[in-house]
Amino acid sequence: IATLKEKLIVPVAEEEATVQNNKITVVSVGQVGMAYAISILGKSLTDEFAFVDVLEDKLKGEMMDPQHGSLFLQTLKIVADKDYSVTASYKIVVVTAGVLQQEGERRLNLLQKKWDILTYVTWKISGLLKHHVIGSGCNPDSARFHCLMAEKFGIHPSSCHGRILGEHSDSSVAVWIGMNVTGFSLQELNPEIGTDNDSENWKEVHKMVVESAYEVIKLNGYTHWVIGLSVAGLIESMLKNLSRIHLVSSMVKGMYGIENEVFLSLPYILNARGLTSVINQKLKDDEVAQFKKSTDTPWDIQKDLKDL
Amino acid sequence: MSWTVPVVRASQRVSSVGANFLCLGMALCPRQATRIPLNGTWLFTPVSKMATVKSELIERFTSEKPVHHSKVSIIGTGSVGMACAISILLKGLSDELALVDLDEDKLKGETMDLQHGSPFTKMPNIVCSKDYFVTANSNLVIITAGARQEKGETRLNLVQRNVAIFKLMISSIVQYSPHCKLIIVSNPVDILTYVAWKLSAFPKNRIIGSGCNLDTARFRFLIGQKLGIHSESCHGWILGEHGDSSVPVWSGLNIAGVPLKDLNSDIGTDKDPEQWKNVHKEVIATAYEIIKMKGYTSWAIGLSVADLTESILKNLRRIHPVSTIIKGLYGIDEEVFLSIPCILGENGITNLIKIKLTPEEEAHLKKSAKTLWEIQNKLKL
Repeated sequence: IATLKEKLIVPVAEEEATVQNNKITVVSVGQVGMAYAISILGKSLTDEFAFVDVLEDKLKGEMMDPQHGSLFLQTLKIVADKDYSVTASYKIVVVTAGVLQQEGERRLNLLQKKWDILTYVTWKISGLLKHHVIGSGCNPDSARFHCLMAEKFGIHPSSCHGRILGEHSDSSVAVWIGMNVTGFSLQELNPEIGTDNDSENWKEVHKMVVESAYEVIKLNGYTHWVIGLSVAGLIESMLKNLSRIHLVSSMVKGMYGIENEVFLSLPYILNARGLTSVINQKLKDDEVAQFKKSTDTPWDIQKDLKDL
Repeated sequence: MSWTVPVVRASQRVSSVGANFLCLGMALCPRQATRIPLNGTWLFTPVSKMATVKSELIERFTSEKPVHHSKVSIIGTGSVGMACAISILLKGLSDELALVDLDEDKLKGETMDLQHGSPFTKMPNIVCSKDYFVTANSNLVIITAGARQEKGETRLNLVQRNVAIFKLMISSIVQYSPHCKLIIVSNPVDILTYVAWKLSAFPKNRIIGSGCNLDTARFRFLIGQKLGIHSESCHGWILGEHGDSSVPVWSGLNIAGVPLKDLNSDIGTDKDPEQWKNVHKEVIATAYEIIKMKGYTSWAIGLSVADLTESILKNLRRIHPVSTIIKGLYGIDEEVFLSIPCILGENGITNLIKIKLTPEEEAHLKKSAKTLWEIQNKLKL
């Protein structure tokens, strides 16, 4: 007896077409992983989305919940498994978990507390090409900087431009020469900007970038929206081959006289091939020194790591 | 203006700079040149005394205060409230978002975190406060706050506790946004929508219970899964009381206008060899399943509320199954709220669709109405 489905739907195509996929996985369904997931789903960036985690119950719950929102989304297949085989042939894997495991996919994107070091570890373990391993790095730091700048001026953050480079954390480098609104350099209006002589104390804005992250963690227990949204932005550039510039973490050996294999943030062009180019920017002597100095801490830890 | 007093209060309450700076600054809606001095590491330089980078860069052009047309306020920043917030933000629906909660730390933490995401979406102004003044002039207010059912607690008791909470909430909301639309999400949603209607004294078109919008979404998703089609192309309605006693309207279930009942006349009954009835059972069970697995549901309800928000703010006049006063329909005499297909636009619920139900389905609705009224009758409002 024909089922209702058979009565209703008549197949026309003969075989399953192999379609270009843009499948994305997130590893770990914690607060960050879910914030990232909902940002991707909300922006309709992918055809297929997979969750991977060790906690089976939470994993299933967090898969079913957005599935029920399918009516309001454009991502038909939302799957989940403890086993990484569910992510076979996925284009992009986002790792938000604490403990890394071996991956065989094309690209990796990494988020964690010691982000830059973990990006290095991922690169080493996975054996992927260095331009396929991307650390979220200073992307959120820059975002926070834009917000604080925007607040000071009363304009939208997307109209504020500034770069925070180097190590994601307290030793990040604020490139004051590049700070501008509509191309109008702030340093031209205030030559002391970023120095101790600055009457407006813009240096504090940079300090607040780091402090505001700690503030959110103190108040809320964690930060997740900013990471989720920022990574969705990176994914968008990759999947849509946008070649936009993002401040992400990649291998900087050979740049600015750095000799060690460390991962730090610089302005990179991001597209379907991964990190294809870096923007050759002029840094002041003290900025280069700061940049180089921030390689010391991660390298100290990295060189002692075993089993890589 | 009534703004300055609560704003100053807020600055004295908060000692940390980060939260103080972002929330406080944002709460002053028109971005003014003069700021209230902030304590902490931020140095304040009065504009009049020294040229700042801002004053050098930006020329004031107008002193008119901005008018918000699509301000949305969300009461409650728990998982559901935040899921609603992010869904609305990702869809770019509002020009200002206000968040209110009693837990100040969580409230500020969540707000700051969202604000830091500004560069990645067309994020509007986001303000927050324990005080309802921050919701002033909202176009739409979404209530997700409420007491959670305790173990062994009767429904009546839960509702009575929520009435006490709603009394404070509703009076404040109405005071600051007397012309807003209210979407009630807190459970038991049909009863609390009635409570909100009574307490606010709003006309019935401006009170909307999220009701069966989510149940219907789940239903369409499961139908889609069974047939291998996107839920957008599966049309079916779940009406009545949100939850275990909801009513699937099998006669209306169709794909591309083809009624499934024409292909399977027993659909939804016990005689049905394919047991499509189980799809509805799954809709009910699946919510409990998710709660068991992850502790709560959030994403689906957040997305569904954003969907309602879109229809209202953009005056789309789309039809949604939401909870509204049903007295006078289907032989129901009680003043109860149940979900039926409603046209949603800028005035809230503008029209109802008089969907034809089988005698069985009508009886179901009547039964729900009686149960709801039994509880509502005993409430001290």
